[in-house]
Amino acid sequence: MLIVENVRKVYRVKEKTGWLMRKWTEVEAVSDLSFRMEPGKIIGLLGINGAGKTTTIKMCSTLLTPTSGSITVDGYDAVRDDRFVKSKVNMIAGGERMLYWRLTGRENLQYFGSLYGLSGEGLKHRIDALLLQVGLMDAADTPVERYSKGMKQRLQIARGLINDPRYLFLDEPTLGLDAPIARQLRKHVKELASEQGKAILLTSHYIHEVEELCDEVYIINKGKLVAHDTPANLTQSLNLETTLHVVIPALSDSLDHDLRQLAMRYGGHRLITETDDKTWEVTLRGENDMTTPLLSLLAAHHSPVLRLHTQQPSLEDVILHMADRRGA
Amino acid sequence: MRQLSSYLWAEIQKEHRHSFHSKMIYFSLLVWPVIMFVTAYYSFAPFRMGPDSPLARFVAAEQLPLFLLTGYLGYIFYWCLVQSAWQMSFERQAGTMEMIFISPVNRLAFLYGRSLSSLVEGVWLFFCFVLLALLFVGGIHPSGWWAPILAFLILLVSAVVWGGFLSVLFLFSRDASFLYTVLDEPMLIFSGVRLPPMAFPLWAKVISFCFPLTYALQLVRGLLMEGETLLALAPKVGLLAAVLLLLVITTIVLLKQAEKHMKETGNMVMY
Repeated sequence: MLIVENVRKVYRVKEKTGWLMRKWTEVEAVSDLSFRMEPGKIIGLLGINGAGKTTTIKMCSTLLTPTSGSITVDGYDAVRDDRFVKSKVNMIAGGERMLYWRLTGRENLQYFGSLYGLSGEGLKHRIDALLLQVGLMDAADTPVERYSKGMKQRLQIARGLINDPRYLFLDEPTLGLDAPIARQLRKHVKELASEQGKAILLTSHYIHEVEELCDEVYIINKGKLVAHDTPANLTQSLNLETTLHVVIPALSDSLDHDLRQLAMRYGGHRLITETDDKTWEVTLRGENDMTTPLLSLLAAHHSPVLRLHTQQPSLEDVILHMADRRGA
Repeated sequence: MRQLSSYLWAEIQKEHRHSFHSKMIYFSLLVWPVIMFVTAYYSFAPFRMGPDSPLARFVAAEQLPLFLLTGYLGYIFYWCLVQSAWQMSFERQAGTMEMIFISPVNRLAFLYGRSLSSLVEGVWLFFCFVLLALLFVGGIHPSGWWAPILAFLILLVSAVVWGGFLSVLFLFSRDASFLYTVLDEPMLIFSGVRLPPMAFPLWAKVISFCFPLTYALQLVRGLLMEGETLLALAPKVGLLAAVLLLLVITTIVLLKQAEKHMKETGNMVMY
């Protein structure tokens, strides 16, 4: 298990104050953060830009030293026993960097494998298996500079798995990828956790990706943990507003009056707009679900329903709400 | 040990494939040493080079071509093997440096492996030198059949150690390229590439003995031009070994400091 306990990271930043003058200031990127990564589970680390997600990943992967607090991997300290920890973790980031473009996909994997002490037939078999797994066997001997963005990202995944890590950090892994390729990668990530038992930490700006993949989500804002739960519980726990849209062919004064009363009774509010095709769209927003009383009311007024849909609060709403609440 | 040698080989292959992507580079290696030698030789030609010239006290006029050839061989050998140092900025830009430092690989092997990646260039250069000297210059008086091999090894080892030292400086900062400019030109002037260090005033002699190339060139010339015995060369070999040992120790200390600095500041990704 990877355990992060009360971790804090402070950067010293140099600022220009004149032609030759510099001033040092301290910036707290992560503050008193604690979480756990367990085998077979995918956890999400969410927050708006500058929340401290990448800094956290880099501390867990030994690229950065925490200013205070501790990170242990299977009981080994990430700072003191970094050699052991390095052999158990790996990181995959989105984008097209972290590869040697003039080398072929196979040569890249040969090199990165050698960094983990792999060589000979063992390394060859591992590379073949990974190339097959990410669907790059046909392009294995093509220079990476001729790869598409999706192919480079798949090679990144193969690179991140070359040492068969127990703990995998995915920093925006589907950044800039086309929808079908991103979907394929999500499937692959899910299999890595469920079939290979890897503990995965994911950061992503695509909230639906986090909702789809993560067992648990940690929301951080300005380096501080503000919420931790399953994606479903997080959206329910905040009692954010559910939005109900209904389209009706006509709107009488009495129906308008009753709709206003309904919204008030449930502590919400209503908005009515006339659409281009001479119908009326009623929007009801409130913390409580008003679907059943609304349908009863329309039935009492003999009003047909042309369209109806409910919009539940998303994880994105939760993040924005929490960022607002803490003055982000 | 097997792991280390396997990694060293992988680093050499990677750097070589990354740098030698065009056959034109091999061609330039063939032409470049010749151009540099001719330039240096003819820059001396307008001056008086007879037995009464100031330089004659240190280098006989008939030995000048071979003196220059060995000097440039050493310099270019160093240049080839240290170019990996300033290419460290590429690793930062490509984000591959993070991927190297996230792994448990031996950092010293990484630094020296980068320098060794130019081994092919070094071998080729040495071959060109021997060919030029035998066919056109003459005057070679080797200590024995083993002298060229030993000279090659002296140049190779000292250049790799120097390359590792420069590479570690580039780990501290993306702006370390100025160090290359500061170190490269003085090395060319003071290491005895074109002029013997003994002809320098005292202050310049002090500078010249800061560069391992100075000691390496003295040994190479002793082995190939003056036919000195191993016994006669032993003190110079000892001196070079001491200088290289000091450089290796400094490199190890700086490497630890550089990694600690990168982990504290996060400057590994800055380029």
